[in-house]
Amino acid sequence: MSNELGLILFTLRIATLSTALILIPGLAAALLLARYRGPGKGGIETVLSLPLVLPPTAVGILLLEALGRRAPLGGWLAAHGIEIVFTWKAVLLATMVMSFPLFVRSARTAFEEVDPRLVGIARTLGCGAATAFLRITLPLAWRGVVAGAVLAFSRALGEFGATVMIAGNIPGRTQTLALAIFSDNQTGHDDRALRLVAITVVLAFTALWSAEWITRRRTQRVAA
Amino acid sequence: MHVRRSLSVLATLLALAGVARAENVTVFAAASLTDAMKELGATYAAETGKKIDFNFGGSNDLARQIKAGASADIFFSADTAQMDGLVEAGLVAASARRDVLSNTLVFIVPKTSAAQIGGPADLSKFQHIAVANPDAVPAGVYARKYLDGLKLWDGIKGRVVPTTDVRAALAAVADEHADVGIVYRSDAAISPNVKVAFEVPRDQTPPIVYPIAPIAASKQPDVTGVLTYLLSTAALQVYARDGFIVILGR
Amino acid sequence: MDHTPAHAAGRRLIQIALELPLARFTVRLAIVLRESVTAVMGPSGSGKTSLLEAVAGLRPRARGRIALDGAVVLDSAAGIRLRPEARRVGFVPQDAGLFPHMTALQNVRFGARGDTRRIDTALDVLELRALLGRDPASLSGGERQRVALARALASNPRLLLLDEPLAALDAALRERILPYLLRIRDQWGVPIIYVTHNVGEAIAVAGELLTLRDGAVEAQGPPLQLLDTASVAQASAGGVENVMRGEVIAHDAAGGITSLRLVGVLPLAIPLVASLAVGAAVTIAIRADDVVLATEPMTSLSARNLFAARVVAIHGSAANAIVRCAPTAGGSAWLVRLTRSAIDALGIAPGRDVWLAVKSHSVRLV
Repeated sequence: MSNELGLILFTLRIATLSTALILIPGLAAALLLARYRGPGKGGIETVLSLPLVLPPTAVGILLLEALGRRAPLGGWLAAHGIEIVFTWKAVLLATMVMSFPLFVRSARTAFEEVDPRLVGIARTLGCGAATAFLRITLPLAWRGVVAGAVLAFSRALGEFGATVMIAGNIPGRTQTLALAIFSDNQTGHDDRALRLVAITVVLAFTALWSAEWITRRRTQRVAA
Repeated sequence: MHVRRSLSVLATLLALAGVARAENVTVFAAASLTDAMKELGATYAAETGKKIDFNFGGSNDLARQIKAGASADIFFSADTAQMDGLVEAGLVAASARRDVLSNTLVFIVPKTSAAQIGGPADLSKFQHIAVANPDAVPAGVYARKYLDGLKLWDGIKGRVVPTTDVRAALAAVADEHADVGIVYRSDAAISPNVKVAFEVPRDQTPPIVYPIAPIAASKQPDVTGVLTYLLSTAALQVYARDGFIVILGR
Repeated sequence: MDHTPAHAAGRRLIQIALELPLARFTVRLAIVLRESVTAVMGPSGSGKTSLLEAVAGLRPRARGRIALDGAVVLDSAAGIRLRPEARRVGFVPQDAGLFPHMTALQNVRFGARGDTRRIDTALDVLELRALLGRDPASLSGGERQRVALARALASNPRLLLLDEPLAALDAALRERILPYLLRIRDQWGVPIIYVTHNVGEAIAVAGELLTLRDGAVEAQGPPLQLLDTASVAQASAGGVENVMRGEVIAHDAAGGITSLRLVGVLPLAIPLVASLAVGAAVTIAIRADDVVLATEPMTSLSARNLFAARVVAIHGSAANAIVRCAPTAGGSAWLVRLTRSAIDALGIAPGRDVWLAVKSHSVRLV
């Protein structure tokens, strides 16, 4: 079943790369939302939450419009010979866009729970803002950040609606497990589809269980 | 009391839904028939006051839905394979099916494209070839068999972008996400943003046949009326005007 | 009455001209601090914590000019605003603010930039050797304060700001940081601004007291001279302590007494504490409520501590007053809390010779 192995590897690679790439901007966005109290914050929050609330196909269409040759971004990409639509990069883009708000939401809550005065104290002890974030805020918020990353990863594993719109369902090139399940079902290969479903369940379960294990172990140590 | 009230509202809604379902004739038709069907549906409503409900998609997908129990009254497929499947499953009476239309395959490019296609071999010049899923959707199956017959399929299949139905392939080319697509000639006329670059000779493709049949289990009293209408002279004229080839009665 | 420590690391100059809008009012003050320890008092919500935070650089909306011994950390007119990490101002908040994910030792080390000598000195002065590996959550309130103090000191600040938790007079003695403050003042040499509600501690530790009300300065001066100001009177309502230092002279095991000599020669007997070495330095606290005053020499009293003094001033109004007395033998002033009726009945007035009595059990070691 090298085809299935290929699907699994591709899906895992995309999900891992997607999660890795959204970490830094996600942390920045989460920090911004947690601390910033100025004008426009509501607007930023809404825009960042859109992929969560909109149907994935709607997000897919919006992405298609933005990547179209006539759009500013799409035109620029085309002019520089960069292809996104119908390639693995589109799969990556779709998973990143759909999983980003999940990560930000989780990380933001975690940051909000860190007493901001602790950061102030760290500053008086000689830390710059960035160091204070790395040594105080992040370590105190790490559980929420990890939970968010696992959510993002699992979302990326299962992303379908936006992916199928901008990446197509091209076997061997842009087909992920979720897309393959769909097309196997469409073409009447239900048994194969069910096998892929089982694999997806195993992957998701492993991701969730590992996150649970990481966060739980740490708690036991602190209590002692 | 809250629970009781909610339950009775729910029951009413369900009853209404059931009533709504039973009221209109539902036609499951291949995606390529979308525009023709909608026009005929409007005329039918104007003349008889009765609405026809449509469900468009890849014929393979529609057949799957019917097998799974979807409430279709008439199936208008883009190939015989899907109709055969329903006959085998006992959902359609073999005697009730009629072959109505045929079609031609064309290669389309975006309107702004300067590409020239002299023959199918030129497909290798393109990066993304939009085709309805060549493993299942009739339009794609026809295209694959055609290119396979010319021993060209293996060379280009790596660049094929399979879409859920033929109209999605059309859209991909219209939006310039794919630089070439294989659709029916009847589809090409729909979008102003594409132009036909090559027309596949009819004798080189496997026979393209659109059969229509009523679903055996349908309890709709009006099915025969709608079927007759969809096969009427006026209807055939609409199909022909849209680019289909009428084979009914031959 | 003298609290200027012998070491006083030169008179320092802290200039704070500050304007900071808060919810209810705007903090507006211009002060110059010259003592090594300045105590700050005031009703809750009067802007004390905001003042400290503004000096530390934690209030972006603060405007004005703040100079610490010539180093300007804020000058809105000149466009200077140093970030907190550049100000070298140590800050210990009310709840200690220890980093919960680090041990006590890691907390202390945090801002020290690897200066092990300074870290060790801080750990020794604050007596933290036994607590190094502990998690902040497992420490008592007083222990957390000490760790926070050590952490601030280890970062080599040029000014230490301390927002003291409510040092209730009945708080367990081992929770008090007063002795450590005295040690820091005398041994470390860093100037301190310290918010407190404890009048007795302010008198004992600070060379200067500043009282705030609604964001403005109400009074500023030597603590004993401010006993009549509204804020100090309010803080004294809960009780005032006499805080003094002395040394152990001898133990009388049979009699159950340890003899001390307070700074200024005044002898004092306290219940036996055999664990103290002869010659050891101690700090004691006696509530003003626990001092008995007589206008005639007292004889045949059970109280072991009797001495002559002279009334210097009477502070306070109405029902309760604090009588400030100077012992004839010398040493710090004693504060005695009496009812108006007692004062009137005995005819207490400044200049009057009196006798003070304190039970040995009323003397608490801090």
